[in-house]
Amino acid sequence: MRPEQGLFVVCDGMGGCPAGEIASQLAVTAMLQALDAGRETAASHSVDEPGFLPQTIRLAEAVRQSNRFIYSRGQRDPNQAGMGTTVVSTWIAEQIASIAHVGDSRAYLWHSDRLEPLTRDHSLVEAGVQAGLLDREASLGAPQQNVLVRVLGREPDVDVDLSEVPVQAGDYLLLCSDGLTRMVPEQTLAQAVFQLRDAQRICDYLVDAANRNGGADNITVIVVEVAGTWWKQASNRWRRRLFRRADGDPHLAA
Amino acid sequence: MAILTLQRDDCVLKQYAVGPLMTIGRLPDNTVVIDNPAVSSHHACVFRAGAAFIVEDLQSTNGTFVNDKRVTRETLHDGDVVLVGKHRLVFDEQAAGESTGRDAELPASSQGDTVYLKGPENQRLLAVVLNAEARAHTAPAATAAQGKLGVLRLVSGRADQTEYALTGHTSLIGRSQSTLIRLKGWFTPRVAVAITRNQLGYVATRLGGKMLVNSQPMTGRHDLKDGDVLEVGGLTLVFSFKQ
Repeated sequence: MRPEQGLFVVCDGMGGCPAGEIASQLAVTAMLQALDAGRETAASHSVDEPGFLPQTIRLAEAVRQSNRFIYSRGQRDPNQAGMGTTVVSTWIAEQIASIAHVGDSRAYLWHSDRLEPLTRDHSLVEAGVQAGLLDREASLGAPQQNVLVRVLGREPDVDVDLSEVPVQAGDYLLLCSDGLTRMVPEQTLAQAVFQLRDAQRICDYLVDAANRNGGADNITVIVVEVAGTWWKQASNRWRRRLFRRADGDPHLAA
Repeated sequence: MAILTLQRDDCVLKQYAVGPLMTIGRLPDNTVVIDNPAVSSHHACVFRAGAAFIVEDLQSTNGTFVNDKRVTRETLHDGDVVLVGKHRLVFDEQAAGESTGRDAELPASSQGDTVYLKGPENQRLLAVVLNAEARAHTAPAATAAQGKLGVLRLVSGRADQTEYALTGHTSLIGRSQSTLIRLKGWFTPRVAVAITRNQLGYVATRLGGKMLVNSQPMTGRHDLKDGDVLEVGGLTLVFSFKQ
């Protein structure tokens, strides 16, 4: 997380695979490196992602580089073979949040009293919902929640889903791993923001709620509270920027 | 509630509540895991289509049979027997009992661990899903605005063009370099307005400074309609969909 740059990343290493934890760490490190290195070369990639802002294109390229990095590490080291991770990242610049994601970690935007999903899981279940095979409610109980069709680090190239959304004062951005969203329904996420209105308290509440509901997986939540208009930004752009991680039952955790 | 009962040599091995989409195969990421060499890694799947359940063979080596007939896709009826290798899955459409025991019957792998479905199995399962989409859905009714290109035409004020096509996912108006429509002036915000494009059309969001839409001050978001007049940073612009 680099709040001063408006950059926030959640990666969730794949459970059941060796080195899932390492993969998520590598993914974040590689992304930050790519973004730092990409400052000069940003313009050269604008061809692959027509219609997106330069910052979004840079974010996408960082995710792709991160994928190549993990993939090649996995190929070299048999202990880390098959490692993978999800990623959801947002980069906020000039009040536009760019979002890049792969896998089932999610981003939501709280805007004018509504929680809007900004990402669609790359899971078999979500594909089923999109296809009209499952309704949204049935999908919550579907046994194949855990089957992903796209992750970072398992193929030499990966498609990165991108979006852009303007953010205003009073909006909240929420990034989270599936450890939260499988345990806590979206209404509860919305309620938490609506009632608490404080990034730290929202984080604490949601992690607690997930654990109360039997959270078996790692839970990562980032809540970003967007404060201030352009003239306030310099002094107080992010009133709170918080990161919280809670590990559930070690037998079941990644 | 529908149930599949897994049997081998008339011995009941396990019962499964039939979910909206379940897979049968040798690998542990399946809903129904049958660890037997006669069973392919992802052998078949059962999914719900409306009120019915359908079994589909996932191009398995040894095939999937319903009541001893080899099938690629078949609607299941009460009492049907699905044969996978030497294992039988008996379909019971109206099984008694509550659905509460269901979670306990799921294989452990589906509870916490995330798995990546790769390669041909992935493609096949996705193909099943997409086929179903084609069958189940006629194309959703398109709204008039869908897919149409929006343009902003300059009515008054000074700018470098008289018409701006909103081709990007996000088009910005402001003083910053990354804007589509560049505003001048010391007190102009770096980004005054963002116009985002989605499946349904365009949404304008005010991000800084003063802005009027159809002479009304705008604060939050506004879905742009044909003929909307935007006033920002000394410019007057009219939004329209290109014919």
